[in-house]
Amino acid sequence: MIEFKNVTKIYSTGTEAVHNASFTIEKGEFAFLVGSSGSGKSTLIKLILKEEEANKGNIIINGKDITFLKPKRVPFLRRSMGVVFQDFRLLPDKTVYENVAFAMYIVKATPRHIRRQVPMVLSLVGLSNKAKCYPNELSGGEQQRVALARALVNNPTMIIADEPTGNLDPVTAWDIMNLLNEINARGTTVVMATHAQDIVDKMKKRVIQIDKGIIVRDDKKGGYNSEIQ
Amino acid sequence: MRYNSFTYLLSEGFRNLFKNKKATMSSLVTMICAMFLFGIFFAIGENVNTIMEQVNMAQGMEVFIDIDATDEEISELGNKIRSLGGVNSATLKTKQEALDSVKDELKDFQTLLEGFEGVFPASYIVTLTDLNLSEQVKSEILQMENVDEIMSSDQTIELLIKIANGVRVAIAVIFVLLIIIAITIISNTIKLTVHARRKEISIMKYVGATNSFIRGPFIVEGIIIGIIAALITVCIVGVLYNVIIEKIESSMILQQMQVSLLQFQDLSRYILIVYAVLGIGIGIVGSSISMRKYLEV
Repeated sequence: MIEFKNVTKIYSTGTEAVHNASFTIEKGEFAFLVGSSGSGKSTLIKLILKEEEANKGNIIINGKDITFLKPKRVPFLRRSMGVVFQDFRLLPDKTVYENVAFAMYIVKATPRHIRRQVPMVLSLVGLSNKAKCYPNELSGGEQQRVALARALVNNPTMIIADEPTGNLDPVTAWDIMNLLNEINARGTTVVMATHAQDIVDKMKKRVIQIDKGIIVRDDKKGGYNSEIQ
Repeated sequence: MRYNSFTYLLSEGFRNLFKNKKATMSSLVTMICAMFLFGIFFAIGENVNTIMEQVNMAQGMEVFIDIDATDEEISELGNKIRSLGGVNSATLKTKQEALDSVKDELKDFQTLLEGFEGVFPASYIVTLTDLNLSEQVKSEILQMENVDEIMSSDQTIELLIKIANGVRVAIAVIFVLLIIIAITIISNTIKLTVHARRKEISIMKYVGATNSFIRGPFIVEGIIIGIIAALITVCIVGVLYNVIIEKIESSMILQQMQVSLLQFQDLSRYILIVYAVLGIGIGIVGSSISMRKYLEV
C-alpha cells in the first residue's frame, strides 16, 4: 500500500528532513506518525502526497513507484487518497454540501452520482442536518468532519491525516478519532501524523516514530513513548 | 448546486470578476486604453491606405506623344503602355482635347491661343496600380517609340509613399508594444485574484484537481475582461471617429486633394475582428502567465 525504501529528503536549504527511511504500511492498517515539531513527520506526509520529491530511495503507493511520477499524473495519485489537515481547509464561500460535492466534481463524477454520494457521506460523519450551513457557522469539530467527508467522498483507498485533532478540544478530538477508527474498520488505510500523546496511547495502533529525520521506532501496537526509551 | 462544466466555468469566471472589482476595473481600463490607442492608429493607417489608393488612381503620369505621330502609332503606343505590369489605365488625350483643356484654364484669355492650334501634343494619362512601381514604368515607357517626354508629380508621390510606409511601421511597433503592455497588466490583475484564492487552489490540488481544471475559470475571467474591453472600445472609437471625420471632411484641404476618407462602417468590421482576437488572446495569455507559479503545489 505505502512503501518507503531508503528514502532521503534534503531541502534546498540543506536541511536533511528525512534520512534513509524505510517502512511499509499495509492495506487496511492504521498507523500513527509521531515525533516532535521539526522531526520530519510533515515531510513524510508531503512525500506521500507527492508535494515534495525524494532525493534518494523509492516510494511505492498502491503498487506504483511514484518516485519519478510525472507532474501531470500527480492529480490522479491524489485522487486515490483522502487528505485531512489540522486547519480543515474548507472553501469558506461554499456550503457543507458544496464543499463535499466539489471534490466529486473535480474528478468529473456525474451529477447523479454526486447527488447520491454526498448525502451518504454526510450522514456517515453525522452532518446531514448541517448540509446547507457555511463553514463559519460550524464548530471546529464539525468543520473537521466536513473535511473528513470530503476526503472520503471519492472512496479513496487511504486517508492521510496531518494532525487532524491539533485544533480541537479533547472531547471533539475523540469524536474525530472514533470516526477515523470506524473508517479504518471499513477497510480504508489510515495514516495519521500527530503529537497527541493520549490519543496514540489509548488507540493501541501501529506507531512509527521519527526523530531528526530518522525512524527510531516502529511498534505494531505501541504508545506514544515506548518502554525502551 | 448543479455542476455542469460550462456553467461552472462561466459562473466561476464571473464570480472572480465581481469578487475583485478594483482589479477588474484596472485591467479593464488598461485594456481599453491600449485598444483605444491601437484603434486610432489603425484608423489612421487604413485612411492613409485608402488615400494612397485614390492618389494612385488620380495622379499617375502624363506621357506626351511626338507631335508627328499618326493615329495608328498613337493607338499602338496606348496598347503597349496598357500591357505593362503595374499600369492601371492609359487614357488618350487628343491634340484637340489638350487644346481645349488649355483653353479652359485660360478662360477669358483664349484669344491668346489663336494660331497655336497645332502646338499642343496628344498624350496618355497613365494611372498605376501601385505608386511604388512609378519609376520602373516610367523608364519602360521612355524606351518606347513616339514618346516625347513624361511628366509626373514625382516629389508628391515619393513623399506620400514615405508617409504611408512610415505610418505602417509605426502602427506595427505600437501594436506590439500595446499587446505587451496589455498582457503584463492583465496577468498582474489575475495574479492578484489567484493570490487571493491561493488557499482555494491548494485545496483543489490536494483533492486531485488537474491544472487545466483549476486554470479554466481564470482564463474565462481573462476572456470576459477582453470581450468587455473590446465592446466598450469599439463604441468609444466609433463615436470619436465619426466626429473627427466630419470635422476633417468639412475642411477644404481634402476637397482640394479630391480624396475622401473611410466611414466608420467601413472600418468597424476589421476593428471588431481585431479587437475580439486581441481581447480573447490577451485574456488567455495573460491569465496563463499569472497562473504558472501557483500551480506548483
